[in-house]
Amino acid sequence: MSHFVLMVLYAFLVSVFFALLWRSERPDRVRLFLQMFLGLVVGGLAVAWLMFPFPSGPPAPIP
Amino acid sequence: MGAADGSPPASAPAGQQAPPPPSAAPRSAASGADAEAAPASAPRGHPWLAALLAWLVPGLGHLYLGRWLRGLAFCALVSTAALVGVTLDGKLWRPESGKPLSYLATPGAMGLGAGYFVLRTGLGYRGDVTAAGYEYGSAFLLTAGLMNVLLVLDALDVSRGRKR
Repeated sequence: MSHFVLMVLYAFLVSVFFALLWRSERPDRVRLFLQMFLGLVVGGLAVAWLMFPFPSGPPAPIP
Repeated sequence: MGAADGSPPASAPAGQQAPPPPSAAPRSAASGADAEAAPASAPRGHPWLAALLAWLVPGLGHLYLGRWLRGLAFCALVSTAALVGVTLDGKLWRPESGKPLSYLATPGAMGLGAGYFVLRTGLGYRGDVTAAGYEYGSAFLLTAGLMNVLLVLDALDVSRGRKR
């Protein structure tokens, strides 16, 4: 799986989890899910875009 | 201070019994605006048994408390996160000398309950640091454990009537 797919899957699982845990009404759950999901995905893409100009450097040694 | 926070109104005439607070919820259960907005339900089940079941198997504590849909959904979510982590050969944390953060991460990973011990001792799972998805898998496994820790606390709250 690609990095993006894994990031979206992670964001989906975490968002659904907290929407079910923290809200009891369906509209509230949907609203919180969308806020968290979009925040994680868009935030991740924004951080990736900001880090793009930085050099990645040599690969880390395997312990 | 007044009826809104559970104490008798200050304007009650002397010698007259003050009316009871509008909410029958115990004072310890109603702290903060959220607790007042969402009235607590009646306690159900045994709190520590619910917590133990919730820790052993994700969602089992909510099933024990009669929260069937939430229990099944939580079980599916935490299990999916753990399965993805194992599929990606992520790290299942254990205490390691010289790595102080491992002592923080291990209790989080052990939040998986029985799954942690089945993976580590039953199946001998260690993870593979050379796998392409190692870092992602480690994040999924640790997140699954931490989510289950939150489920344990939630089962305690539901059982004690602090949450519906």
